Amino acid sequence: MAGFYEAVTAYPEGTSTVSRYAKTAASQGYDGLVVRTREAAYDPAAIGDHYGIDVVEGIEVDAESPDSVAGSIGNFREACTLLLVRGGTNALNRYAVEQDRVDVLTRPMAGNGDFNHVLARAADTHGVRVEFDFGPVLRERGGQRVQALRGLRKLRELVEQYDTPYVVSANATDHFGLRAPRELIALGEQIGFSAAQIETGLAEWGRLAARNRERTDESFIAPGVKRGRYEKDG
Amino acid sequence: MKHLPKYIRPRWRYLAVGIESTPAAEIDRGTFQRELWYAAGNLLGDPGSAAADLTVYSFSFADGAGETMLRVRRGETDAARAALACVDAIDGEPVGLSVRGISGTVRACEERYLGRGTGRFEQRHVAFADADRPAYARDEAVEVSMPTGFVSATELDFE
Repeated sequence: MAGFYEAVTAYPEGTSTVSRYAKTAASQGYDGLVVRTREAAYDPAAIGDHYGIDVVEGIEVDAESPDSVAGSIGNFREACTLLLVRGGTNALNRYAVEQDRVDVLTRPMAGNGDFNHVLARAADTHGVRVEFDFGPVLRERGGQRVQALRGLRKLRELVEQYDTPYVVSANATDHFGLRAPRELIALGEQIGFSAAQIETGLAEWGRLAARNRERTDESFIAPGVKRGRYEKDG
Repeated sequence: MKHLPKYIRPRWRYLAVGIESTPAAEIDRGTFQRELWYAAGNLLGDPGSAAADLTVYSFSFADGAGETMLRVRRGETDAARAALACVDAIDGEPVGLSVRGISGTVRACEERYLGRGTGRFEQRHVAFADADRPAYARDEAVEVSMPTGFVSATELDFE
């Protein structure tokens, strides 16, 4: 079990500050935290050092239509390590999976949102992760929860069939909503996921953050290219 | 009725669970047990909940933090973890449960994972969101009282 991250909504959008999330996440065994809220004011290095956790600057774009999402992608891509786009309608889902600059499409099955094999293939092609949102399963009851479970099942079957990359999150809006990795894995197994899938999904946040940081690093040239001496042929 | 012989008695596991909530929360043992059984029944179904058992063995909660020990049937601890994950609010106040450890005996569970009494809240005033607000501080955690509810922060936010 290595490198589990969680992605959270912090104050002022949620009701816990980034440092409180970091404190709770660190005690639950997470190695990193992705902040979804753009307006949150925090010092990632200071918080990270104090609680021993990697704080990743992310921005979750929550827009009404693909046009505003397009504008936001342009504005925010340079300003964050991870760029997330909130799905939930077919138009938004369809748009987001085609964008190379988008890292994660969050809650695609919420509301009226749906997913199909075309979107699954497109997401794989453009490297857009789809998010398995465990929030409604954790916090809803009855009909709403059943709908959410149906959505997760459909998404999981598509992801398995088309090898779409994915992330997993409890989507907390306060630090009480964070769940330790073992609890999420146990819950995932109850609803049809394998432990390995949940572990991969939690670790994928960290992999994405590391990849994006490497790409924006000054010493980066292009994927697979590095400076060095010529290797002598034998 | 006479007790069962040892070879046919159920085997139990004891889960030590930490409880965290806001300063306004008042959770008593009965309410907690009911919420837990409710969450387990909804997630695992009545048969699953009966299989796991999830009886509260010991419980203490004061000032927004507490701990409890649950009895779970051996082999059902993963299902119990899943049911615990699904308890998100009690009496309207958000609550966070986390499993500190699992043990085969009550005594080992108490000794290893429980008995961590957190101190009382210290009431202060802090400057937050352009105003002076009352806050409850304990162990670096600070709960700021806002008009719409509590905002959870830490000492780092006020340095």
